[in-house]
Amino acid sequence: MANNTKNRKAILVTPELCIGCRACQVSCKSWNQLPGIKTHNSGTYQNPPDLSNTAFNLINFIEMPSQENPARWLFVSRRCMHCDDAGCMKICPAAGAIYRTPEGAVAFDSDKCVACKLCVNACPFDVPRYNDQGKMSKCHLCFDRIGSGMEPACTKTCPTGALKYGDRDELVKTAKVDGFSTIYGENDLGGLGAVYAFKEAPKLYGMKENPVIPSSVIFWHKYLKPLSWIGLGGVVAAAAIHYLAIGPHKDEEV
Amino acid sequence: MAEMVQKESGGAILNHWALAISCILLMITGFAFLFHLEWIGSVFGGFNTMKTVHNWVGVIFSVSLVFTMFQYLGDSLKYDADDAQWFKVAGGYLSHKVKVPPMGKHNPGQKLYYLGIALFGLLIALSGFGIWLMKENTTIMLLSHLVHNVAFVFFCIMVPVHIYLSTLANPGTLPIMLSGKVPLALAKKRYPKWVKAMGKM
Repeated sequence: MANNTKNRKAILVTPELCIGCRACQVSCKSWNQLPGIKTHNSGTYQNPPDLSNTAFNLINFIEMPSQENPARWLFVSRRCMHCDDAGCMKICPAAGAIYRTPEGAVAFDSDKCVACKLCVNACPFDVPRYNDQGKMSKCHLCFDRIGSGMEPACTKTCPTGALKYGDRDELVKTAKVDGFSTIYGENDLGGLGAVYAFKEAPKLYGMKENPVIPSSVIFWHKYLKPLSWIGLGGVVAAAAIHYLAIGPHKDEEV
Repeated sequence: MAEMVQKESGGAILNHWALAISCILLMITGFAFLFHLEWIGSVFGGFNTMKTVHNWVGVIFSVSLVFTMFQYLGDSLKYDADDAQWFKVAGGYLSHKVKVPPMGKHNPGQKLYYLGIALFGLLIALSGFGIWLMKENTTIMLLSHLVHNVAFVFFCIMVPVHIYLSTLANPGTLPIMLSGKVPLALAKKRYPKWVKAMGKM
């Protein structure tokens, strides 16, 4: 696809390096001026419990005891995946409401959003959220920062290198050299803008296997959309040909 | 003046145009949503207002569609031997040399067209309300989105067919949907069984 160019930027998440400090969550809120939300303790350190219209990123805390480590804790930083083939962009009916930045980020314009919430249902990763007015919001890869040559707030803040920002090809290459056997999102959905470096199966970390855009959305995009204007144009053309070749009804002949 | 007979009632005419105008407005805005046609959006002052217009015109369309069922559904379900013969000669549209059997108030093409509009109109209306009002349910949203667009393709194909057949292809048809009246002489040629049923032939 068009955005798999050398310019495409990405975030590389290396869960193995994450210490669960949540500085990324704080810096995201700080840069995007998002208010805190009141949550309840449900017996986990994970907070908030899920992404929301005021929480664009989140560390999932997963307790996953293993043979060697009975207290193993996995931390997985979650945000919009910035798919190259993005379901939200495909289904969005409002021109310019969800758009691609030159760096490859999937950003949004709340003024143009029509609050239809179709994107929420077309996302393979359950990412878009909406506010009181029904307007969509999600991580936009700090398009306002990266457009000025800075890096996103979350990656800038990350103290361990679990979040890295840079040229997508470069990040993937480096992760492979560093011995991470599985790069999640390297090729899914045209290649994700948030790629994950794993040494174990991504499923262990709660990553979705084979993420896809809902098949009804693909069918609609590929066949129904073109069929609508081809059908309309075809009938108009057929009517013109009929009028010229056969001509209108003549009562005399009845 | 030639003697005229009433073919469509005032209410039926009013409802036809409510349905037709709302339908075309919905199709235009629908195309704008499908293909991000910003020049259409700007006519409405942006996609936000256009969405509001699309939704509420959809309500007019739905109400109007319900009214049509009282007008046309009964007649649309009755077919006789002449209707079968009408299909064999393709309604006389493909050749002026064939003999078209005598017709009643509506020919079977019109009746089937109405059934199509009733069915796909119902689907597009219900799925439209699904997208509008049931946003929290992913299954309903995605199913409604698909059904809405399948029905849209039907309208894209069938609406221009209807407009062509009722104007250019059959001169004299459009005035019936404007005044409700048709000259008796013309009605005798085109709708002989209907004129007979009224006892005027």
